[in-house]
Formats: sequence, structure tokens, C-alpha cells
Amino acid sequence: MFAPITLEILVLVLGFALLLAESFSNAPSKRALPKIALFVLAWVFAFSFFTAPAPDTVEPGSFWNFYSASPISMMFKRIALLTTMGVLVMSLDYESTLAKFIPSSRPGAGTGEFYILPLFTCAGLMLMASATDLVMAFAALELVTISFYVQVAYMRSNSASLEAGIKYLILGALSTGFFVYGLTWVFGLTGETHFDKVALKLAALENSDTAILFALLLVLVGLGFKVAAVPFQSWVPDVYQGAPTPVTAFLSVGSKAAGFLLLLRVLEPFLGVSSIQPKVLAVLGTMAGATLIYGNLAALPQNNLKRLLAYSSIGHAGYLLLAVASVGATVTGFGAVGTTIGFYLFAYLLMTVLGFLVLTAVSTQTKGEEIQHFNGLSKRSPFLAFALLVAMSSLAGVPLTAGFYGKFLVFAHAVNAQLWVLVGLGVVTVGAGFYYYLRVVAAMYWYEPTDTAPIHVSSLSKAVMALLVVCIFVFGVNPRPILSALQGAPAKVAAAH
Amino acid sequence: MQTLTLNHYLLASGLLFSLGFAGVMLRRNIITIFMCLELMLNAANLSLVAFSRFHVGTDGLPNYNAQVLVFFIITVAAAEVAVGLAVIVALYRARQTTHVEDLQSLKF
Repeated sequence: MFAPITLEILVLVLGFALLLAESFSNAPSKRALPKIALFVLAWVFAFSFFTAPAPDTVEPGSFWNFYSASPISMMFKRIALLTTMGVLVMSLDYESTLAKFIPSSRPGAGTGEFYILPLFTCAGLMLMASATDLVMAFAALELVTISFYVQVAYMRSNSASLEAGIKYLILGALSTGFFVYGLTWVFGLTGETHFDKVALKLAALENSDTAILFALLLVLVGLGFKVAAVPFQSWVPDVYQGAPTPVTAFLSVGSKAAGFLLLLRVLEPFLGVSSIQPKVLAVLGTMAGATLIYGNLAALPQNNLKRLLAYSSIGHAGYLLLAVASVGATVTGFGAVGTTIGFYLFAYLLMTVLGFLVLTAVSTQTKGEEIQHFNGLSKRSPFLAFALLVAMSSLAGVPLTAGFYGKFLVFAHAVNAQLWVLVGLGVVTVGAGFYYYLRVVAAMYWYEPTDTAPIHVSSLSKAVMALLVVCIFVFGVNPRPILSALQGAPAKVAAAH
Repeated sequence: MQTLTLNHYLLASGLLFSLGFAGVMLRRNIITIFMCLELMLNAANLSLVAFSRFHVGTDGLPNYNAQVLVFFIITVAAAEVAVGLAVIVALYRARQTTHVEDLQSLKF
């Protein structure tokens, strides 16, 4: 049995060790770095099933005041680890494109950090999954965000990557400013930084609804940027399109998972204040509706697959927000919604990583990310076409895929909460989703290829793609293992209430 | 002679935050925008210290968690500047500009 914090320490040590190894080695190829990282991360993932539970009583001043090892935290840690592994596999395929845009005297020089920075992001995501204190949550969030700034702008002689980097930098820093200023007001109102203590103090406050709403508004603006909710979504398409493809995949899964977990944690104390609860839920519901409409409708005319996936990512943020907005009326409250969001994000991880793996393989060879570059893919590489078909069907929500069950859980919450308008909007936008996801499928299966050379894929990526395809079907048919991992021993979740 | 109260500090920090936000929205030079972003973080620092100093617990001591958070914010701001300026320098080398109007190649 390990203490859960061992996992984060291992990932951080791995990151630092690889940085040192990279700077002292003369090897021209950096391909060993991601392979070592993949190997160690797989072990860390295995270790995550053998961690010791948190102690029952927490002494004041002990580390457990900042850190939780609840089942949902452990599940989010695993999501972070799996995403990072998927991103590293993608980076290996992306090497040729990456090296082209890094000015260097020797081929391959300067690409090493591209494989190492995701490890620090991963450590930040894992720490955030466990944070139960504002200070910890903030430090972890910034570890994630700042390492993303570097990764987005990594291809420094590619002007699209640089432009995306600048946009992400400015809007990310802006959202940090709002988030931190909101945190100061939360502290000012309660005098506490621990989420549970904040909840107790907030519920006991009287006649300060305006101040509480002000603090919540600032925090929501900050987190709205992170999870790409309308009206704070404007950066997403540009950044997703400009960033290196593996980083785009990491952004859309990792950054979203982190943002939603933090949103749940931060909202919980505020929703405990009964006098402002209806207003907060109304705001969340409006944001969910607007995000659903914008993300899914703006995706319709896109021709660049990366940009299309960016809008679809906004759309998925809308479904997740819909689950958050239906928290008030559900009997079990945050426990159940946390499980739904956890499952949705897990399914989203499977299908997004799969989609981006295929996109990386195809765009490296065809030198383009437009949908027309996928024309006739089924004749060139039937396996890649089938993998992308599975990813797109799951993103659209075709039954028997993990994506369908995620959407089903979200709609079940919304129906329970009787949010009929939002349910209606959700159904319409799922229909729109079918149109733009299946456009890609149509291009692959119905159009003639311009070039019939098969697409080369490394056997590692092929194995990962096959595994992801199997997982999408297995967890779409039988989601129980994930759900029970998220719920864990029910006593731990219920203890927070 | 009036003594300084919590409200004075909050007012000053609110002004700093608004100035920073207005700068981010209105200015067109990326380096100026970046300075304004740092101003917003410093506004948060000021109000955190003020809240901590004026919220004295039963033992007569302020809650130091907030002051520790200030150190984290300062560190994060420094890291952000280090990364941000590097990205801006790279942009200047590639495009010879630091103006946001020139960043419009990513549109469909």
C-alpha cells in the first residue's frame, strides 16, 4: 500500500529526471524520452489501484487538510494519467511535424521538452483532483495552465502555434486573475481556505447575499474560461487549431476535466447557501443552454477537423454544465452528479484521444487537417477509418458506445431536475452533432481518395487505437466498472454532507 | 485624522483590479496587456493581505493561510511572466509585431 501522494511525487520525479537526462545526453533522437515516460506512467497507473485510504480522523495541520483521496479524486487521477499516456503516444507520431517548426542547428534538437512538459501538466491535474483547499487548488491549477502555455506555443517558427500561444496566454492569465480575485472574496467572507470549512461558514452568513454572489461571479468567470463555457469560449477554436495536435488533445480532455472538477468543488459550498441557490442554478442553466447552442451550431460549417473538434469540445462542455445545473433538485446532490461528470469525462477521454490519434496519423502524412484530407480513408487505411468512425459515433452519442451512456446519464439528471427547456435544447443539439460528426464519416467512406497510398501508423499507436476502440464499446455496453470506481465506498462521499 | 479600515484596502484593490481589466480590454500592445494582467493579480494580493490582517481569530492571530496564498500568487505571477515574455519574444522574432491586431491568421 502506498500513500496516494506517492503517485504525484513519482510523476514529478519522472519529469525532473527526464529533464536532466535530456540536457546531459548527446543522443540526436529524443524518442527514448516519451517511451520511458510511458513505461513509468503505466506503472504509476497500476500503483493507483493499491493506494492506502485516507485516515478517518484528520489532525489539524496535517497534510490531509489539503488533500483528499476519495474515489472520485482517484478516478480523476487515473483520467489524467491515461490522457497523458495517450498524448505521449500521439507526440511520437507527431515528431516529424514538430521538428520542422523548431529552428535548430541539429535535427531533433529542442524537441525533448515537448515530451516532458505533459508530465508536469499531469502532476498538476492529479494534484488538483485531490485538492480540498483553495491554496492547493490554485497552485495545482497554475501548474497545469503555465505548462500548457509553453506546450501550445511550442512550435516557435510556426506562426499559428505562436498566435495560439499568445491568445491562450492572455486569456488564461485573465481567467486566473478573475479566479484569484474571486478566491480572495471567498476568503474575505469566510476567513477560511478549506472547502468544507468555507461551506460551513458561508451557510451561516446572514444578509450578505450580494457579497457571496459577487465572489461566486468572479470565480465563475475564471472557471468559465477554463472549461470553455459561453460567453468565455472565444479563445477555444483559435487555440485548438493553432496548437500542436497532441497538445490540442491534452487541452480538450485534461483542461476540461480539471476545470469541471474544480467547478464542482467550488460550487458545492455556494449551493449550500439556500437563499442564493435558485439564482446560481439559473445562471448555470443559462450558461449550459448557451454553451450547447453555440458549440454545436458553430461546429456545423467547419471544414478543418481540428477546429470542428474545438467547437465540439465547447458543445461537450455544455452537456457537462447541464449536469452541473441539474444538481439542485437531485436527491443525492453532488455525489450523483460527480459520478455522472466523472463517467462523461472518462468516455470523452477515450473518444477524444482516439480521434486525435487518427487525426495525427492522417495529418502527418497528408499535410493537412481539413475534412477533405480524409476523403476515401476507408480505401487507403480501413483500420484508421474504422477507428475514426468509432470515435465520431461515440462523440455524437450513437447507442452502445461510451459517449451515448455519458449523455444518457446527463439527460437523466436533467429530467430528474425537470429542466425541460434545457433537455429540449440538448436533444436538438445532439441532432446537430450527428450531422457534423457524420460528415467526417461520410468523407471517409463515400468519397473517392485523391491519393491511394496507405497511411503509415506505428504499431504502438495502432495498439493504443485498438485498445481505445474496445474500451469505447465495452464501457458503452457495461459502464458499471467505471461507475462503481467513481462511487467507491459510498460512506466517503456521503460524509461530506 | 481617519484611520485606515478594511474598506479602504478593498477599494484600492478593487480599483487596481478594474484598472488591470480595463487595460486588458482596451490596450492593443501585448506587453501592456501583460502588465495589466499582473496588476489584476496584485489587486488580489492586496485584498488577501487586508482580509487576513483584519480577520483576527479568537487567539488574536490573523489567518495566515491567506498570506501563504499571496506567496503562491507572487510565484505564479513570476512564472507566468517568464513564460509569457518568452512567448512574446518568439512571436516578435517570427512576425516583428507585438500588436493584437496583427494576430488574425487563425480565422475561418
